[in-house]
Formats: sequence, structure tokens, C-alpha cells
Amino acid sequence: MANTLRLYLTCIRNTLEAAMCLQNFPCQEVERHNKPEVELKTSPELLLNPVLICRNEAEKCLIETSINSIRISMKVKQADELENILAKKFLRFLSMRAEAFQVLRRKPVQGYDISFLITNYHCEDMHKHKLIDFIVQFMEDIDKEISELKLSVNTRGRLVATEFLKQFI
Amino acid sequence: MLSTDGTSTMAFFSSGSQALVEILTRMQSAERPMPVDHTFFEFGSIRYHVEASASDPENVYLSISTPSLSHEASPSSSGLPEATLQETRKAYHKFAEVVEPPREGYVLTLKLNFSALARPKDRVKAINQVSLLQSVVLSSQLRDMLGSLGPSGTMKLVYSQSEPFFVSKTAERIHAIFPMRFRDDTDLAIATSFFQELQDLGNSFARAPKCSWSPIPPPELRGEHVHRLTTNGGFVSFGVVSRHVRGKKRAAKTAWILLNFQAYVKYHIKCTRSHIQSRMRQRLEALTEVIQDASLRGNHDKTRSQAVVKKRSKRRLISFTKANAKLQKGFRAILDKIKRLRLRIRVKGLDRLRRQCQCFAVPKLPVPPRRKEQRYHKLASVKSREQG
Repeated sequence: MANTLRLYLTCIRNTLEAAMCLQNFPCQEVERHNKPEVELKTSPELLLNPVLICRNEAEKCLIETSINSIRISMKVKQADELENILAKKFLRFLSMRAEAFQVLRRKPVQGYDISFLITNYHCEDMHKHKLIDFIVQFMEDIDKEISELKLSVNTRGRLVATEFLKQFI
Repeated sequence: MLSTDGTSTMAFFSSGSQALVEILTRMQSAERPMPVDHTFFEFGSIRYHVEASASDPENVYLSISTPSLSHEASPSSSGLPEATLQETRKAYHKFAEVVEPPREGYVLTLKLNFSALARPKDRVKAINQVSLLQSVVLSSQLRDMLGSLGPSGTMKLVYSQSEPFFVSKTAERIHAIFPMRFRDDTDLAIATSFFQELQDLGNSFARAPKCSWSPIPPPELRGEHVHRLTTNGGFVSFGVVSRHVRGKKRAAKTAWILLNFQAYVKYHIKCTRSHIQSRMRQRLEALTEVIQDASLRGNHDKTRSQAVVKKRSKRRLISFTKANAKLQKGFRAILDKIKRLRLRIRVKGLDRLRRQCQCFAVPKLPVPPRRKEQRYHKLASVKSREQG
């Protein structure tokens, strides 16, 4: 792993560990309702300051915390047109299967490529450290997968081009 | 095109028709003469018709309909130019003759008669030669059209209706220029990567035509209509020189490869898309496992989802096990009932109480004397005695 990426991921991990102290908190607006405050943002006293962690201009992660929920949004690097299309395609593929991840938001926050919403119920059902591990691994895997896909598309293109030109020989 | 093990297969783009080879081989190897009437399409626009009757098994009629390459040319049903017919006659004179006029809806009809070829090896060779008919016809048409173009000029060719391409002729070389259009961004990105590789590799293959790709129309297309030059994938051009078309066989092969270039690119895109999809699925599974491991109940959800898949197969087994258990339970209950009926009534601890408290005398009930022998007679013997 590149040194800068390790630092970036460590920073996200530490921030998540600090931010992920959620508790059950009923909605103050609607009786007998329990809603993620980070989504509604109706009571400012229940929200913490959002943290923005940037690796560079193209790669950043926004962590928004509230009393009963946390929202993590990330922007994945897209160096060229092919990476842009592959990233878009892959993230759309994952978003459409959000129910498999439980914490994945179907629609990302504006300006970001993918978002997660973790509530206190998720923290009760899952190991906190494993949940953080998942977020970090997800970020790592997305980068890796997009790079590998790009490499594979180019390699296939080269092989197919070779086969095409070989026909003339 | 590229299989999983990296080997290449070009079955879809070989100039020989595999279906035609199969039909003709089956007809030749059949013990009894059988009537045949097959119509099939290849590459979307090439239509074949194979006909043979049981009464005349020696003669097989093969008709072919190919698209007209030139946009301005007459429709394909009106037949082929004389030069093409001459070439076909020359190529297949040993075992075929051209039927005139061709069958309705086809440009060419051949009467095949393999009886003159005694050896099976020769027949196989002839069948393979017949399967190349489309390539012979198309390359001959192309040559004819290029000849009519004069020393220099540009012509629009339509092999596939939606994707015309241009052929530009100069003194040194012929340029085949393909305007590339794609329906979405993913196709475009994959194709762009392929064109870049094709351009880079073009220089390393000395025998192959020089390939170039540019987002703007090449100078040869100056003066063409704007709508013909509007593309999203740029223009790919191949510079064909005399050595690429030296000899009829080589010329036919080059023409065939270039005619199918757009189909080749489309096929590459389709395969790459499917490859990307399968990779994404694999990664999804890996990530799902991580989140399932995070669950406090272990990977209960995973086992549940796996159980759903296997539910149907297991259901029968479970029902059999349940039925077996129920049967055993019922059998045991019946046995218990029988035992209870046969045994005396026992009061727990009554013996001990009787021993301890002598005052509490339990009267001894007189036991009826037990018969030592109980004779039973066979019903049949009793009946016979009564009758007697």
C-alpha cells in the first residue's frame, strides 16, 4: 500500500473510532419516532462538527456525526475518462445492491461518489471495530478494483488488437 | 475472442461458413439420399439457401444473398456483376456451375455436384472451398468497385446498414476509413482503449496495414456530408498497400478482415463489458462477506441466505426425517400402552410402607388356581367332530 494511502486510511479509521459512539435517541419532532439525526438535521444540538479528510483534490472523505447516527461519504479518485466510467459503473452496481451491505446508502451525498449511514442499531447488531474495518477495507478495495479493472481493460484491448493484426500475417 | 485461459478463438469471424460446412458434410456422409431445404443467415445480412431433393441427390443447389456494398448500387436481388460471376465460375469449376438466373431473392445460385470427386479428402476440401463463397463474392465486388473508382477518389460502402465506411484510393495505397459510433460512454471508453492499443501496435506489425485513429475526420474525407462525419468514437483508418492484396486469396482475406472490423470491435466491447460485470460481482461477494462477519450473531445472515438456496433440496429430506420420527413416536406409544395393560398396577413405595408399618395389614387376595394346561382345539377339527 502506498504510504500516503496508509496515512489517509489511518486518519479515517481514527476519526471513525472517535465518532462512532452512538446511542439510542428518539426523534424530538415526532413522537414515538426514531430517526437518524444526521439525515434530518432538525436539532443542531444533536449534531457534531463534520470532519473532512482529504488525500488530494479528487479523493476525500466526509464524516458527519450525530447522537444516533453517522454518515460517511467518500469521493473516489478518477484520473482519466476510463477510470471515471469504471468508478461510476462499479459504484452504481454496489449502490443498486445496497441491501447486501446494510449500511450503504442508495444515493450518495451530493458531491461524493458513495455514502454510508450507520445508526445506533447497526452498532448494536455489529462489532464496532469490524464495522470500521469494513469501511476502511471498502475504501481500499474500491481503489484496488478500479485500478485492476482499468489495467484489465487495457490488457484485453492490447491482446485483441494483437489478434486482429495477426490475421493479416 | 479471448477465452479465460488467454487463448484466442476467431470462430465468429472466420470467412468460411461453419453451418454450410456442417450441412454439406452431413449430406455427403448420409447413407440414404435425403431431401434438404435449409435457409439461414450469417453476419446478420448474408443469407444462404441449400436445397437438394431425394430424387436427384447428386445435385445440391446453393443460393447466396449478400448485401450490396455500394450505397448507390442496385439492390442485391438484381444479381452480381459479370466479373464476379466469372471469378466464381473459375474458383468452383471443378464441382459447381452457376445457375442463371439465380433463385428468387438471391444474388447467386450454384449447382454443386461432388460426384466427380472420388476421394473423400477432395470432397472435404471442396466443401471448405464452398464455405468461402461469401468471401469470394464480397471481395470480388469490392475489387470491381475499386476498379471503377479510377486512379483516385473516395467511396462510401455499406456492409452493415447502420455502419457505413469509406474507401479512399490513391496512387500508393487504399485507405479504409471507419467512422466509429457508440451508444454509450462505457462502450466508447473500452473502444478508445482498444483503438489506442491498435494504433500503438500497428507499427510493430510490419506486414499488417498501418492503422491510425483520430477523433477528427482524416483529410481523405474532405467534402463529405457533415452528418456522415459526425461520430463519438473518432475515425479508424487502415492503409492497405499492394502487398496486402497480392494474390486473390490474400486480397479476399484482407477484404474480409476489413469488412468485419466494426463487428470485431463490437464483439470486443461486448466481451469486455461481460468481463467487467463478472469482476464486479466477485468483488461484491468479497465485500458482503466482510460486513456479514461484523455481525454480532456471527454470519447468521449468510448461513440463512445459503440455507434459502439449499432450502428446496433440504425440504424433502426434512419431511422424510419428520415422518420417520413421528412413526417411531407412534410405535413407541402403542408399545407403552401394551406394556401398561399387561403389567400389574404398582404403587411406588407401597412395599416399603407395608414392611415398616406392620399394623397396616394389606389383605392377601386369594389367587385363583392357575390351570396348568389349557388345551386348544383346532377349529377345523372341532367342526369335523360336530359334523361326524
